[in-house]
Amino acid sequence: MSQAEISITGEPITDASCRFTINRPVLPDKSFACLNKEAADDSPLARRLFEIEGITRVMISHDQITLHKSSSTDWPMIGKSIGAAIRSHLASDDPAVSDSAWENVPSSDEIRQGVQQVLDSEINPQVAGHGGVIRLIDVQDNQVFIQMGGGCQGCGQADVTLKYGIENAIRATVPGVGDILDVTDHASGRNPYYTPSTK
Amino acid sequence: MPRVLLLLPTTTYRTEAFVAAASSLGVDVTVASERPNTLARLNPTALLTLDFQNPPEAANRVVEFSTSHTIDAVVSVDSQVVVLGAAISAALGLRHNSVQSATAAHDKHQMRQRFKQAGVPSPPFMLGSLDEDRAAMASRVDFPCVVKPLSLAASQGVIRADDEKQFIRAVNRLESILNVELAKSTATDDSGTSSQTRATASWRQFLVEQFVAGPEVALEGMLKGGELSVLALFDKPDPLEGPFFEETIYVTPSRLPAKAQAEIASCAEHAAEALGLTEGPVHAELRFAENGPSVIEVNARSIGGLCSRALRFGDGMSLEELIIRSALDGTCELPSREEKASGVMMIPTTRAGRFITVDGLSDAKAVQGIEELTILAHARQPLVPLPEGGRYLGFIFARGETPAAVESALRASQSKLRFEIEPFTDSEAASLGLPRLSKKRLNP
Repeated sequence: MSQAEISITGEPITDASCRFTINRPVLPDKSFACLNKEAADDSPLARRLFEIEGITRVMISHDQITLHKSSSTDWPMIGKSIGAAIRSHLASDDPAVSDSAWENVPSSDEIRQGVQQVLDSEINPQVAGHGGVIRLIDVQDNQVFIQMGGGCQGCGQADVTLKYGIENAIRATVPGVGDILDVTDHASGRNPYYTPSTK
Repeated sequence: MPRVLLLLPTTTYRTEAFVAAASSLGVDVTVASERPNTLARLNPTALLTLDFQNPPEAANRVVEFSTSHTIDAVVSVDSQVVVLGAAISAALGLRHNSVQSATAAHDKHQMRQRFKQAGVPSPPFMLGSLDEDRAAMASRVDFPCVVKPLSLAASQGVIRADDEKQFIRAVNRLESILNVELAKSTATDDSGTSSQTRATASWRQFLVEQFVAGPEVALEGMLKGGELSVLALFDKPDPLEGPFFEETIYVTPSRLPAKAQAEIASCAEHAAEALGLTEGPVHAELRFAENGPSVIEVNARSIGGLCSRALRFGDGMSLEELIIRSALDGTCELPSREEKASGVMMIPTTRAGRFITVDGLSDAKAVQGIEELTILAHARQPLVPLPEGGRYLGFIFARGETPAAVESALRASQSKLRFEIEPFTDSEAASLGLPRLSKKRLNP
């Protein structure tokens, strides 16, 4: 595919961060984060982006790349360099993230075991206070699928509990976990702890 | 990375949207609610508990918190936290509405007083009390009027009266609604704070407002330095004439003439200025009467329920992303709303009883133009229609080439839904404060 067919849309989030969406997956169905330049050894794409002055963090997820910068340079000013780096990567035969990066990721079984332990020891004893329960449904590669039951199913605060409670606890304890996906049918919750009712 | 403090009441409809927006923006987040999250101990940096009824104390707590985790913006998600958000922002020295303006926008009586003082076109009003003689009060009212509680939202307790008899009935009904709500809040509030607050005199006060005829619109806007940018203007094609004021369909762009839309925007800006609001999202409700726009309410928050899903900006940015971005960076540009027409139907609760199930979902979702249909009612949930209730059964979202096509898709979709609702027993109905009427007459 020629570089001319590559379309990249940049959307500044804040002065310090910008999300770039590419019209094709760069890391299909996976995500990879480099929190600093030193962590980019396993990602040829991240290495190219760290060469641009001021870039401090690179997050690659499917067809999106979110970049953080420390410099005062405006995003439009460095946008061309970023676009060129992404195009140059896509034109090469390099993977966005090398296979060796995934070798360091624990196996699905190891992740499953670690996550279950966090749920049993940290999460479920707490959410039981609201009649809730969190179940581990599956682990595929490093993606974790969980289900929220009891008071958590359909609860108005389920997203907060998931994002800032469950996800945080799992990531702090189990290394190498990718996306954590909630597969709960919240609409079928029979006894949600908090029911939305206000404007 | 910048950190945003989201003030999220536990009963808000907006949690998912704001959490998704913050996550998408990649900002650090601290969520503050009025009750502790069960996992707060595991992540105290992200999960705070604040006394929403005591803004000064909550502000002190956040100031202390911010010494170790700098907060760059505060976002008040719903009406009940706008004053708190202003107090916290003031304490942190962040750009925000003043506490006085947020208080005026939150207090329905103060709001109308400010409108009157500033000459903002709005319905004439008077303040009533449940402790006053109702017949004497009725003799001072210009009819038709609308009786409105000061303390409730989502049209709960709002009743039109066309004569003195209807007025007395409406006030009696409002009293029983307020009594049930007060009992509920006392029973469910483990901190005791909200019951103390609600037991004040204002809990027994209400507004009597002249009914203004004409189509109603909702304006979604963003204030920066007191200047209002209109993000969207929604028509409400179902006539809101009472006796109760159930909001159903919102469709944007508005089909009103451009001149009328400009007058509405100007009137909303004047109203925001009268309240002293200068920053952040604004949700205004206006009637377009024969002699021009008349402001019903201006709130220092964004649109409620799940309705924001009807809005997309620029390349698909959500309203919540736009709000967080604007809170973090007051100079950021506001992208335009998408070109397509868009709309939402808040599925009304039309019968009192317990929700059993809903049929016809597949057919309702298959209607051309329908993008999403979400049922929020859960099995066995008690459903109470207006004016006693204040919850929606769910939401339907549509997009299309024209507002008319969107409205038509929403109506067609809703017509395919069949809700099974088990009637309340007499004692259940009594405990919910439902009047002794035949089931048919409960939903006029």
